[in-house]
Amino acid sequence: MKSVIGLLLSFMLLSTSLFAGGKQEVKKYNPDSPVTITLGGYGDLETAYKAVVESKDFKSKYPNMKVKFVTNDFAAHHDRLTTAIAAGKGAFEVEAIEIGYIAKFVANGGLTDLSGSPFNAKDAVKNIVKYAVSNATTKDGKIIAVPVDIAPAVMFYRKSLTDKAGVDLSDVKSWDEYIKAGRKLTVDKNGDGKIDQYALTSPESVWEIPLNGGKGGWFSSGGNVLEPKERFINVLNLVKKIRKAGIDADLDAWSQSWLASFKTGLVATHFSGAWWGGALRTWVAPKEKGDWRVAYPPGKALASIGGTYLSIPEQISLDKKLPAWELIKYLTTNPAAQLITFKKIDAFPSLTTIFNDPVMDEPVAYFGNQKARKLFAEIALKIPESSVSKYDVIARDIWITAVTNVIIGKSSVEAAYDKAKKQIENRIQ
Amino acid sequence: MKMNQQKIAPYLFISPFFILFFIFGAFPDLFSLFLSFTRWNGMSKIEFVGLKNFIYLVTRDDFFWKSLTNTFFLLLIGSLLQHIIALPLAVMLDSKVLKGREFFRTAYFLPYITSTVSIAFLFGYLFDRNFGLFNYLMELAGLPGIKWFSEPSTVKPAIAILLNWRWIGWNTILYLAGLQSIPGELIESARVEGAGRYAIFFFILLPLLLPVIFFAVSLSIIFGMQLFDEALILTGGVGGNPGGVDNAGLTTLIYLYTVGFRWGKFGLGSAVSWVLFLIIISATVTFKKIIERIQH
Repeated sequence: MKSVIGLLLSFMLLSTSLFAGGKQEVKKYNPDSPVTITLGGYGDLETAYKAVVESKDFKSKYPNMKVKFVTNDFAAHHDRLTTAIAAGKGAFEVEAIEIGYIAKFVANGGLTDLSGSPFNAKDAVKNIVKYAVSNATTKDGKIIAVPVDIAPAVMFYRKSLTDKAGVDLSDVKSWDEYIKAGRKLTVDKNGDGKIDQYALTSPESVWEIPLNGGKGGWFSSGGNVLEPKERFINVLNLVKKIRKAGIDADLDAWSQSWLASFKTGLVATHFSGAWWGGALRTWVAPKEKGDWRVAYPPGKALASIGGTYLSIPEQISLDKKLPAWELIKYLTTNPAAQLITFKKIDAFPSLTTIFNDPVMDEPVAYFGNQKARKLFAEIALKIPESSVSKYDVIARDIWITAVTNVIIGKSSVEAAYDKAKKQIENRIQ
Repeated sequence: MKMNQQKIAPYLFISPFFILFFIFGAFPDLFSLFLSFTRWNGMSKIEFVGLKNFIYLVTRDDFFWKSLTNTFFLLLIGSLLQHIIALPLAVMLDSKVLKGREFFRTAYFLPYITSTVSIAFLFGYLFDRNFGLFNYLMELAGLPGIKWFSEPSTVKPAIAILLNWRWIGWNTILYLAGLQSIPGELIESARVEGAGRYAIFFFILLPLLLPVIFFAVSLSIIFGMQLFDEALILTGGVGGNPGGVDNAGLTTLIYLYTVGFRWGKFGLGSAVSWVLFLIIISATVTFKKIIERIQH
């Protein structure tokens, strides 16, 4: 008798848990239930997202969702997230991740797989720029974050300076052609024997362009470091050639002199992601409105320099994951939200459906009424997908040392390449 | 009952410190010691690897060795040599004939209480190639401007200039406190006996200041070996080329941070911290022995 009762009880418990499990699987976000979601971010993301969640459309769709922001500086934000994931506690419902850090999380885990039920991110991301999605996808197809903004790389140049030098940078066919033009742009304007106009700030600002912005591609399909060799050697030769040509002002990135060079006319060109246009317009060189232009980098090289992803840490409970996912979906796939973000902080949209929006066709006053956004969109659609690995950040850090050593003449191209390769191999074992 | 309460009471009173110490002091230390024998990226399972991290650091990690060399060099020119300046400054400040001593004391101490990050940013401006004060002064003196952070050879001197500016005042105040604890009668009677200013300094003040020198230099060793913020901000912060051009400003703590937080190797990072701890302990004990030998 006892065994029969035990059997019945076990059956009841099993069926209850099965039903409960089944119920959990089909759980959906309930818009009627009040919820507060915290978004951990960096830089000026909060400015943009705050405007989005305060929009009428968001409020009507999510009347009971309150969004709080915790903003840190760039490095502190990613350190906090790393620590919170390691500790298994303390992460916010939605966490922003910069593209340079995404490979680490793709490879190491800690973030929710959004590709499966109940999120089904594969559907949500179908209109998002492909290369950006692939950077946040694991080898077995898990999507761990969704791109919210991207940064196709372009060449920025000052029209007044190129016109004066008699060069046209709107369609530079190769790096050699760029260097040739750079020689004409490097001039002693007042005849005091000192050069007071250069083509660019430093060769260091160039290396990312031929290497897809350093996003993936550090390892060959066979897992070999810095392969194919020619690709990397060419980059080292390029930076060496630029320095040898004497066309760079040799300025440290983000120093006072470096920042000033974009308004004083010390440099005529710069390579960066689309976001740099916003920086120029708002605080780096606002008075130079109408003089800066954008163009494809030499040889129509395709790269992305910057970009943001939104993710949900694994440690978040399902109750909170569901509204968090709604917020991510809204910020990444709602055209109005993407446009607000773009207008507020110049973070270029990741959503391709708005690449045909009339706003993309509008002339941009800062760029002399050039249709710059169209160019950003065109490049974004062409950037190839690349696979990332957990060692990307190590490879990148060591590679930059190799680049700077070639620039300052401390190492030959071959020696710098060999040393970097050896150091990376030594690190990843 | 009362006896029991009396027995427990002291422990209850001191317990807040120990509770906090165990949570925020002992536990992280012990956990990092445990981690130093493991491989862990912060998200994966912790894998025990024995002494592998330590062996790797010592035998194959050229970044670690470079960071140690940089740190020792900066310790010497940025933290230890300044004592030669701080001590005479303290003697001058202790002089009764000096007017405005209070002002000088405050002025010397000000850099110590100012935020490290603000100082590092400010010095970033001062070292600027074209607009910086240092290059302006060099140009006035007819010397060519220096590309402080573009050449490996000038990175460490630049960091050392900041360190000296920041810590000389702190050490001066320490020595001043030491000088003021020396009985005035000793100096007075030496003067009566005919001792000159230098004789008083070398044969009376200096020997009596040895415990203070030990304290001040030990602090310099401890802080100097853990140099982080100043070097990190001046050499371009986090992200690529750790420690700036040719890793010339890569200190051991920047390396630890890079390995742990940026490269996701918490096990190796923890091993770095424990090796650094052993080095600091050894350096301090060695210095103590030297001082004891001088005293005897």
